[in-house]
Amino acid sequence: MAIDPSSAARYAEQAAAAIGLPLTPARMPAVAQQLAGLLNAAALVVEFPLPEDVEPAPAFEP
Amino acid sequence: MSPDALDAVGIAAAVRRRSASARDTVEAALARIAERDKALNCFTAVLADAARREAAAVDARVAAGEDPGPLAGVPFAVKNLFDVQGLTTLAGSRINAERPPAARDAACVAALRRAGAVLVGALNMDEYAFGFTTENTHYGPTRNPRDPERVAGGSSGGSAAAVAGGLVPLTLGSDTNGSIRVPAALCGVLGLKPTYGRVSRRGTALFAGAFDHVGPLARSARDLAVALDAMQGPDPEDPVASRRPAAPTRLELDRGIAGLRVAVADEHFARGGEPEVFAAVGDVARALDARERITIAEAHRARAAAMVITAAEGGQLHLADLRARPDAFDPMTRDRFLAATLMPATAYVAAQRFRAWYRARVRALFERVDVILAPTTPYPAPPIGQDRIQVDGGEVLMRPTLGLFTQPLSFIGLPVISVPVWRGKLPLGVQLIGAPFQESVLLRVAAHLERQGVVASPIA
Repeated sequence: MAIDPSSAARYAEQAAAAIGLPLTPARMPAVAQQLAGLLNAAALVVEFPLPEDVEPAPAFEP
Repeated sequence: MSPDALDAVGIAAAVRRRSASARDTVEAALARIAERDKALNCFTAVLADAARREAAAVDARVAAGEDPGPLAGVPFAVKNLFDVQGLTTLAGSRINAERPPAARDAACVAALRRAGAVLVGALNMDEYAFGFTTENTHYGPTRNPRDPERVAGGSSGGSAAAVAGGLVPLTLGSDTNGSIRVPAALCGVLGLKPTYGRVSRRGTALFAGAFDHVGPLARSARDLAVALDAMQGPDPEDPVASRRPAAPTRLELDRGIAGLRVAVADEHFARGGEPEVFAAVGDVARALDARERITIAEAHRARAAAMVITAAEGGQLHLADLRARPDAFDPMTRDRFLAATLMPATAYVAAQRFRAWYRARVRALFERVDVILAPTTPYPAPPIGQDRIQVDGGEVLMRPTLGLFTQPLSFIGLPVISVPVWRGKLPLGVQLIGAPFQESVLLRVAAHLERQGVVASPIA
């Protein structure tokens, strides 16, 4: 895993404070575990090189 | 065939020709619910009095020689995230139970009622649709009618179990990452996730709007077709509804499969599951004489991007309650929702851009094929309460892994039907995946598989 629960916990502590989300110490291990999974999924997406002209599709029509 | 075993189209035909009354049909459904739902826990509300009144109105229309609609007298029920006039929309939560009753029906509930169907109740789900098992702590787990010790799947678990248990022939569910297809597979019924935007979501509680779809679950392909036809089409009140005019599918159903090009998805969709789920795909492929294999490239990354967008949108949607009263959330969703609120914006935008890129790649595949086959879930229904599961020689987390094969498809809004295939006591699901707005092709294939005896959904 590129991002482990302990580094996810450090990020969570700061990011939660920034958005006013109360994260108690008792809750932190489970949340950090989930967040590590999400941040690793995010890394898989962010690392993928896309041409600059690829835009999101806000009005999405499959 | 006993009237209780009829599918929705069969019931409507009997009501229309007066060999059965809507009142008796609805009364029988209410009796089955009273008898079986204590054990299965599909329903969170049963609307017995209203259903009796609506059934009487259907019978009156038949008696007056009026057209009672293609779903005349068909008892149906909906996941409790659909607005039902007079009922509070729970979306599986305790928090929303404080809200006032809905002022009017969701668009698709109203559409089925206009088609003559009779709403008998609301159905259990994972809290705010964030789950694949319907192990809801507030309202209890829904049990799988094929084996009550096992999960029904989710998040539309009540919708799948109610159909599999024969409580009602037709239900509605929603599917953001697999929430119609996963429970349909685990309970052994058919579930249709229509093309994104083809069916209005007006009046349904959102989860991740980028992928939220609504659709029917039933025991026959023709029931899915008739329900889709009743609900599809433009709706100015749903901001993502397609402007394409409705294109009925019911009359296409018996055209057979001549000329259709069918391929089996490989790579991501051919590993990470138990051998029997791939064998079920093989059964369907043989029945369709499908020999080609096709690669949906970057499907694993599409799944990751779906997780990113779901977290960002779902986390933001519930942020106010997560700040103010996290303890009111279901312990099964709370930690995941809390983590979801912290998704970086850069990842969200990257995932949305990747989605456009991936859509273009998958669209190109449909120049070569009409239908792609893949398993719905990596394994059949696991026991309730189980956290980990052995798959293909390794151990994985049971709940998130249920979406392995469904997430990369809802991610770009493709229409998919999960059809039930049997190789043992528990059903397995196979996804029939089509090009956008080609539901009629998938329904033709599903109907063909029913005629071949490869797909069947008997009442449990």
